[in-house]
Amino acid sequence: MISAAWICLFLPLAGALTITLAGNTINRRAAGVIATGSVAGAFVAAVWSFVAMLGREEAERAQASTAWSWLTAGNLDFGLEIYVDQLAVFMMLIVSGVGALIVGYSIGYMDKVDEERRFFGYMAFFVFSMLLLVEGGNLLMLLAAWGLVGLSSYLLIGFEHERPAAVAAAKKAFIMNAVGDATFALALFLLIQQTGTLGYEAVFAEVDGLSSTVATLVALGLLGGAVAKSAQLPLQTWLPDAMEGPTPVSALIHAATMVVAGVYLIFRTAPVFEAAPEVQDTAAILGALTLVAAGLIALVQTDIKRVIAYSTMSQIGYMFLAVGIGAYAPGMFHLLTHAFFKALLFLAAGILIHALAGEQDIRRMGGLRRLMPFTYRAFLVGGLALVAIPPFSGFFSKDPILAAALDDGNLGYALFALAAAGAFLTGVYTFRMIFIAFGGEPSDDLRSRLQLHHGREGPMSMLVVVGILTVLAAVAGFLQFAPFWTPVDDWLDPVSEPLVEATNSMELVATIVGVSLGLLGITTAWLLYSAKRMHVPRPWTVLEEKFYFDRLYDAVFYRPSVATAKVLYALVEGPLVGGSLAGIVSGTGRLAGYVRALQTGIVRTYVLAVAGGLAIIVLVFISVRQR
Amino acid sequence: MLGPGVAWYLAIAAFLFTVGGLGVLLRRNPLIVLLSLELMLNAANLTLIAFARQHGSLDGQIFALAVMAVAASEVVVGLGLVVAMARRNVELDTDRLTTLRG
Repeated sequence: MISAAWICLFLPLAGALTITLAGNTINRRAAGVIATGSVAGAFVAAVWSFVAMLGREEAERAQASTAWSWLTAGNLDFGLEIYVDQLAVFMMLIVSGVGALIVGYSIGYMDKVDEERRFFGYMAFFVFSMLLLVEGGNLLMLLAAWGLVGLSSYLLIGFEHERPAAVAAAKKAFIMNAVGDATFALALFLLIQQTGTLGYEAVFAEVDGLSSTVATLVALGLLGGAVAKSAQLPLQTWLPDAMEGPTPVSALIHAATMVVAGVYLIFRTAPVFEAAPEVQDTAAILGALTLVAAGLIALVQTDIKRVIAYSTMSQIGYMFLAVGIGAYAPGMFHLLTHAFFKALLFLAAGILIHALAGEQDIRRMGGLRRLMPFTYRAFLVGGLALVAIPPFSGFFSKDPILAAALDDGNLGYALFALAAAGAFLTGVYTFRMIFIAFGGEPSDDLRSRLQLHHGREGPMSMLVVVGILTVLAAVAGFLQFAPFWTPVDDWLDPVSEPLVEATNSMELVATIVGVSLGLLGITTAWLLYSAKRMHVPRPWTVLEEKFYFDRLYDAVFYRPSVATAKVLYALVEGPLVGGSLAGIVSGTGRLAGYVRALQTGIVRTYVLAVAGGLAIIVLVFISVRQR
Repeated sequence: MLGPGVAWYLAIAAFLFTVGGLGVLLRRNPLIVLLSLELMLNAANLTLIAFARQHGSLDGQIFALAVMAVAASEVVVGLGLVVAMARRNVELDTDRLTTLRG
């Protein structure tokens, strides 16, 4: 089992290296096939690990394996090790499975794009980094992988490096993630100082012995990393901009896998968070606030990918809420279904963008239902799953989170209210997007711009993948139907016992509230954007400005640092650094002028200097000896 | 020990060294400068051998052999340069060869 996990980890790396080293010697299509093949191979290995783990006793399922000692410093010794338990296998299956589908889709999407090989190299490298993140055997490896996924995300957002917007978005994502990486690293420093180790089991064993201040600080540092990576308030502004990357990148990294790493982190380090309950509550509150805020902003977005990006933020908010109140398995189950339906929405949007030659503004779409029926159906399934309408997958995973919130006391009721409001907003913004883009009659302009691919809506590799994801988004929810059958909960509970247990009546209340609010949201969207029975209100500026976060950061961080830099340039760098350098240069030149005079070019003067010098030395020696 | 004492050898060596040194310092013909250099080297050789004889040790003689080898190579290079200069009709005067001045 553990060898399969190693294979799963290193196959995508081998794929990335092959593509990078082969360079121009392989053709463009081959790079796509190698990347897809390596990630699909990783998926097979992940399934193998899973099956092997199924055959074991529950107590023996978690296994660690160390390849070699990676880093030794004083008493600290970090191995290059992996730790594979139920949670790791669960994530490995999602990452490699959804990853293989999306990389395969990219073969069609990225066809005839410049530097296609570089794209596939990066994609395979990202899958490796993400697998390292979920398999890494200690917190240091987790941090290293945390940085690597950030790097791959940066590289892929900025893939179209000739567009300044893409480069700016890549930098923004990298810098905001670096804030989280820094707090994460600080938490690890504190852990090393207090416990002298970063191994999962060793840290969790010692966490009860930590003082509450230390536990709170460590948990806060980890939460900072999770919040930055998962684009939660207040470090959320990079995710919508990251939509500048190619659509498969948005689907894989900014919807299905990397951005949910924060949820994984909180679950993985659950004992630390449980030792600092107020921090865990903070995670839940941040998640709840994010899900509402992102839902509100999504209402006024006009770029189809940005609408989906805000809905991603919102759905990750649900997952943060879940792991924040200790409903770990429901959070992970929502992560699974979200990976399916959000990847589906992005990839279906990718078909649209592909067919409309890069058009992303929903206001210039409309009537696409008649032109692209397959994509419409895919979008409809993805949308219904997102709004959590039964029997689509989101229903089975979102409502248990609402139910679990009800079991969390007074705070839980507030969280439940926010989550329920989010359910309504989800219905509105999702179906606003669908009604505007697909409803009505297509304009002649749109018809003329539509480019079908051999009479189909897109290349076969794209359509097949979207078809598979449509089926998954529709039926994957049946994997678990709390409280009737709960295989996901049973599988994941041994990793960390849940802190809340929803009763049947809570499940019932949550289901009724969630579904009816979702339907209400869809109805509202229908009245506003399809039937047009109601006047569409003018978008509020506060929403269009995304709650002023970008402006705030601009005013608080960017402008002061630019102003400081200008002052420092005028007062310090110019006179002090530049001036001193000029002085050194002219001084050296003047000194050299004096030395130059000695260099006469006449050999006899040199000889005289040598002889004279020798004579002086001899005289000195003799005089010293006489004394 | 037969023959004159070490002091005589040293006196001759000092005389030769002075003649050579003055030649290097005062003469401007590169051929004569090279010749004077050889005189200085051989003066040094003479002191080495004289002291070797006085101490009854072979070290000085071996060292003198090494100096001869170096002197031979140096003459090869030096004379080669002089011949090259003569062929190019460069004036054979060390004071005029000042291209390398600073």
